[in-house]
Amino acid sequence: MIARVLNFFFVGLAALSCLALYRVSEHTRVANMELSSVNRQIIQEKSTMNVLQAEWQRVANPGRIQKLAQSYLGMDDAPVMELSSFEMLPRRGENPLDSNPVQNASITMPSGNANLHFVVANRN
Amino acid sequence: MAAKPPTTIQRRIVVAAGICVLAFTIIGLRLVDLALLKGGPANVGVIAQNSTVVRADIVDRNGRLLARDLPVYDLYARPQDFWNKADAARGLSQATGADETRLARAFAGKHNYVLVASQITPETRDKVMHLGLPGMEFQPSTKRFYPEGDASQVIGMTQAVSGGHGIAGIEKGLNAQLAAGKQARLSLDMRVQYALLHSLEATREKYSAKSAGGIVLNVNTGEILAMASQQDPKRADYNPLRNIMAADDYELGSVFKIFAFALALEDHRITFDTTFPVGSGFKIGKFTIHDAEHMPAVMAAKDILAESSNAGTAQIALLSGPDRQRAWLQSLGLLSSVRAEIPERARPLYPSNWGQVETATIGFGHGISVTPLAFATAAATIVNGGRRIQPTFLKQDGDRRGDQVLKPETSLKMRELLRYVVTNGTGKLADIPGYDVGGKTGSAQKNQHGRYIEHKLLTSFCAVFPVDNPRYLVFVMLDEPHGESAVMALAGHTAAPLAGDVIAHIAPMLEMPTSAAVPIPGKGNS
Repeated sequence: MIARVLNFFFVGLAALSCLALYRVSEHTRVANMELSSVNRQIIQEKSTMNVLQAEWQRVANPGRIQKLAQSYLGMDDAPVMELSSFEMLPRRGENPLDSNPVQNASITMPSGNANLHFVVANRN
Repeated sequence: MAAKPPTTIQRRIVVAAGICVLAFTIIGLRLVDLALLKGGPANVGVIAQNSTVVRADIVDRNGRLLARDLPVYDLYARPQDFWNKADAARGLSQATGADETRLARAFAGKHNYVLVASQITPETRDKVMHLGLPGMEFQPSTKRFYPEGDASQVIGMTQAVSGGHGIAGIEKGLNAQLAAGKQARLSLDMRVQYALLHSLEATREKYSAKSAGGIVLNVNTGEILAMASQQDPKRADYNPLRNIMAADDYELGSVFKIFAFALALEDHRITFDTTFPVGSGFKIGKFTIHDAEHMPAVMAAKDILAESSNAGTAQIALLSGPDRQRAWLQSLGLLSSVRAEIPERARPLYPSNWGQVETATIGFGHGISVTPLAFATAAATIVNGGRRIQPTFLKQDGDRRGDQVLKPETSLKMRELLRYVVTNGTGKLADIPGYDVGGKTGSAQKNQHGRYIEHKLLTSFCAVFPVDNPRYLVFVMLDEPHGESAVMALAGHTAAPLAGDVIAHIAPMLEMPTSAAVPIPGKGNS
């Protein structure tokens, strides 16, 4: 009698285990497929990003931008010149602009750089 | 009543049941392991990576992309699958740019597979897909792409085939690293590179020079921020990829005087005000060394450098003597080829018999040929406090100055002298207000077939800024510039303003602070 009960129990257990195993296996297979698909998508997106980054670098090339700025905006090649630096800016409470060297400051253009442009603000 | 012993069948049933229990226990445990503990060899959380290692990117010091492998496809066709081979050839020709006649002939042949086009882009692949032709096969491949051509001579190139090795420049010098998938971050700053290239191009065209070249070097780290070569496209030997700054030797002329003066100051053989007879030239052996322009009868040492007198510099070089001069140039690395990460280099050319005459001429930069890169590296040592540097194309952090080659005091004196050249001498057109440029001009007659040609010049300018505490060295060179007159073709009128133009453009990019002018050397400075 006990043997028969055990037999039924184990056969039932075997059937349940098969079902559970099949279910897990199916879930795993589907998850793997989704994972592969996502991975493929990631690789594809990365590849696209790589291409776009390279393309952006090409279109943002300074030479190209300079040509466009000259032809469409009429801009000229004007080197920037720093006439001051952060260290020389007056601090709160200080008033270095009253000093003679600053008020009498002038700049002489070297003859070879006649194309330099300056914007000088009158701060007195 | 005594229990009956189990029969053989019952024992077998029990054994079988036991085996089943054991088996299902194992299966159950494994299920628990897989479902709850996520064990097992397959780790589902790991994202599969592309198994093939692509050649790594090359980027500049700010992360700007310089070289990258991009996906392309080699397109093959199976002609036997086409319904109409002529239509297929026409459609594929329009989509890929391949020659229609070649395709039609190949499709009519007996080959099972025909290469339609190699290294087509994904965009072209989409066009081919839209044709709806059967029998098309896309073989994935990669192509090395260089988004900017501004530094092509430094970056070099790879073989045209997919996964090809580097054959020039950084691509060859760092081939092992790049092929292993490790990115190379260069010391180049593409903003500076473009500014240098742009100035070189404009100046080369302005003076109809055969070629032009430039280097921007950090004198404390040895990092090369920019290196460019520009050639006249009309030249018979035009090669836009030739890196003349690293691969070619030049007799640089008067810029070399820097080393003669540094040596004489280092050995306390001169002061700024030591005078030399110059006006009527300097006779050595059977030769007399003259200056290109009229010079006063007697000149102080500082004016000899400022006005670039050959006769005066020859006398100063001879104060040191051949052995000391040779050892000095050796210690500055000028008698051996410079090793950086690129394979392009050249051995310097110098006389095997280094006598008095050679000492005098090498003093003012004739009789010795070095690469501009070697010169710039040695000049950086002169101004950076006197310590040797190793030029590099890789981004570095911090001070990388090495052995002390000359005393810091000598380096300081040289910086004062270089500033004097710009304020009072031949380098005036290189002066950019606020940046305290120091420098030296060089106008070397070119040597052709053993003779120096008077009006074929190689002009150059070596600039450092800010001169009181130099951070950058700019070296520019023009090969055979043509001025309105012979004088206007000299370095002071061609290379010096070019260097000034480069500095005016790059100094704000490099966040160089403006500063007050440094004192001009005079009495008491020596």
